[in-house]
Amino acid sequence: MAILGKERFEDLEAIHEGITGMLDIYKEDPASRGLNAYFKAFTKLVENLCRPFDDKQPVVWYNLGMSPELILALEGVHNIPLEAYPALQDIVGEVNFTLDYIDRAEAHGLPHEVCSVDKAGVGAVLKGIMPKPSCILGVNTPCDSQMAALQASAELSGAPLYLIDIPYLYGEREVEYVARQIRDAIPFLEKHTGRKFSWERFREICLRANGMSENLLAWNEYRKAVPCPQISKLICLMVPLFITFAGTETGVVTAAELAAEARERSERGEAAVPGGEKIRAVWYQDPVWFDLQFYDWMESELKMVIPMDLFGYHAPEGMIDVSSRESMLRGLAHRFIRVMPMSRQFKGPIEWYLNDYVTLCREYKADCGIFAGHVACKHAWGGLGLLKEKCREIGIPLLVFEFDMFDPRVTSAESIQDQITQFVNNVVLPRIELKK
Amino acid sequence: MKSKQEILEIFGQVISGPMNRYVSEWKKSGKKVVGYYCSYIPEELFTSIGVLPYRIRGAGSKDSSVADAYLSARLCTFVRHSLALALSGELNFLDGVVSMNSCDHIRRGFDLWKHKVKPGFSYFISVPRVQDDRVLFWFEEEMEGLKKAVEDHFGKKVTPEGLKSAITLHNRARILLKEVLDLRKSDSPPLSGTEALTAAVASQLIPEPDLIPLLEDFLAGLKKSGGGKPARARLVVAGGELDEPQFIRNIEEQGGLVVADDACFAVRSFWDLVPENGDPWKSILRRYLFHVPCARMVGALDDRTAFLTSLVKDFRADGIIFQRMKFCDIWAGESHNILWRMKKAGIPILVLDREYQVPASGQVQTRVQAFLESMGK
Ligand code: SF4
Ligand code: SF4
Repeated sequence: MAILGKERFEDLEAIHEGITGMLDIYKEDPASRGLNAYFKAFTKLVENLCRPFDDKQPVVWYNLGMSPELILALEGVHNIPLEAYPALQDIVGEVNFTLDYIDRAEAHGLPHEVCSVDKAGVGAVLKGIMPKPSCILGVNTPCDSQMAALQASAELSGAPLYLIDIPYLYGEREVEYVARQIRDAIPFLEKHTGRKFSWERFREICLRANGMSENLLAWNEYRKAVPCPQISKLICLMVPLFITFAGTETGVVTAAELAAEARERSERGEAAVPGGEKIRAVWYQDPVWFDLQFYDWMESELKMVIPMDLFGYHAPEGMIDVSSRESMLRGLAHRFIRVMPMSRQFKGPIEWYLNDYVTLCREYKADCGIFAGHVACKHAWGGLGLLKEKCREIGIPLLVFEFDMFDPRVTSAESIQDQITQFVNNVVLPRIELKK
Repeated sequence: MKSKQEILEIFGQVISGPMNRYVSEWKKSGKKVVGYYCSYIPEELFTSIGVLPYRIRGAGSKDSSVADAYLSARLCTFVRHSLALALSGELNFLDGVVSMNSCDHIRRGFDLWKHKVKPGFSYFISVPRVQDDRVLFWFEEEMEGLKKAVEDHFGKKVTPEGLKSAITLHNRARILLKEVLDLRKSDSPPLSGTEALTAAVASQLIPEPDLIPLLEDFLAGLKKSGGGKPARARLVVAGGELDEPQFIRNIEEQGGLVVADDACFAVRSFWDLVPENGDPWKSILRRYLFHVPCARMVGALDDRTAFLTSLVKDFRADGIIFQRMKFCDIWAGESHNILWRMKKAGIPILVLDREYQVPASGQVQTRVQAFLESMGK
């Protein structure tokens, strides 16, 4: 199947076919406005992965701890997240490709316990399907596993790497520190891409980034309604969208569509769960990306909805003040430290981790929480004991299970379904009954 | 003067559990001890005000379940065991704890220190993940914060004179350890890798005034003693956390001789000296940020490769055993990158995962055997 008029890697064709198939089914469906917006955005990401092979323009790789505003300010430079392939394969493509990337990375010596998204990213590099980078820009968030992948990717590609050091805490001093490093990254990017950084262009990008954030914040608000107006799986797709499209028109439009759908459905009193929701759960940690139908099952079988999860929650600290160059750099620094999902919750002190959970439970009126323990996410697992204590304190039951968000070989969707079903029947529903 | 054997016995006792006779004496005399994680925390700061810097480990912990209940079983066992000791009160002799963002595991461990162990003093430093002049100012600011907190808590002023004498003391210990290391270059070194690591680890748990005479005697004893028996192969052990000489013994029992150890608690902890001229505080900070880089320092792979290959060359090693704590991501990326760099350089390398407190695994023995055979040894 040709993409942008040419035959491509089978990997990309699988993704493209997946998206086209979905759009064929859902594009005329008025109830799938948000989902369609995502599919269209992912089509753009597929095109982004193709274009560098056609136009030979410079490419910058970056890791999922950052959004691409700075890179986008260099005209004609392609921004490619290291995690693009595994994310797309799992969400809309063919999971077996992701498993192949993971296996390649492990066979090449990347240890098993590294996060599967990072192993798969390195596997995609090893397979030679990533457009070659002029340079790599990285941030040391959210986790050490990301740094393992970043350095392995730099080593395998031979591309120069610039790291923006994200400190432990969050305050004015930390923001200044990161802003200064972002500024220092500009000559690095200019040197290796051969393109000029434009402050005017950067300002426009920041404005669009704000536009996207405004829509995401509004969207988050609409999803607080009871019943939750919009299906669960939409929230867990926000991360790849933000990482790839913050600062672009695609980002603004997709976020606006998500918000509009949630608002309209809410105004019409429509519920995501067919027949009405019985249980509201906050999903903390990583989504089941390898099987998105899992969320449909949860809604139809258990009458359970996820109004918000860790990936969909958009933090209010993300608005960029565009009044000066410095304020824009600071705005971006705020984003890198305190907005990117996972970094926001897990990178700093345990309070960040616990406070967001409590806030989500309270604001989204959760009956229970689900700690979907992605096996490799050490700093999430490492806070679990204190999270459990917090759950007891606020009186909200928590289910903990172990799985891998990219790799169904670790825990199958069926096994997760069993665990959730038991939790719902034995713990959550009896508690809801008692409260009545 | 104590004999080599006597000193090794002392060192062996010192590293066998959290408390040792020197720390005990130190405490009895009313002096304070601060525990710290990681080689980026400047020991001289504490020494300068008469507080003992004590490097936290997990030795003596038989079971990490009390920590696992909080940290889960998916964290590095070094961190879990050290927290098990802390949570069960076995590190109560520490008057404070200083930690840093070494890795995701140590970070989570600090949450427990703060919220569950609650030592009298605790401080966390955000050390940059790059070794670069562009971030030196940040490191200096972070360390200024630590210095002030330490001064306030312990009620003592850090002075340039105090820092200078602390530098002299710590440098002296480092120089002695480097001289011990140098002896391992010979055809038949007078000490095994197991013994060398025992000395290096103990050095981070004994007050310098007690340590220096011990190291002097140890060195003198080594110079007098003859070489060990010929080995099947000379090896450099590399990688992350390593404070268990039993792990090295396990390798050496297969006939390999570990001639250098490019690991935490080992060569990396004493390789770089603090310059003794200039502003002492600035010199200390520069030395700590720019010492032989740990794998947490992104972009320093060339330096780490150069350091490791120079050890292989200078110590005439036949190959490298790269050890990594299971679940450790910092050293996971490194093991991949170093594996390929060494393969390209034609240096035989074996990558081994291990767990803390499980030093004598049959699997390690089998793999080391196979590795030695693959080198034709
Ligand atoms: S899921 Fe956890 S381990 Fe994986 S990239 Fe996110 S923060 Fe890192
Ligand atoms: S071995 Fe790795 S995970 Fe364990 S403390 Fe050291 S850097 Fe952290």
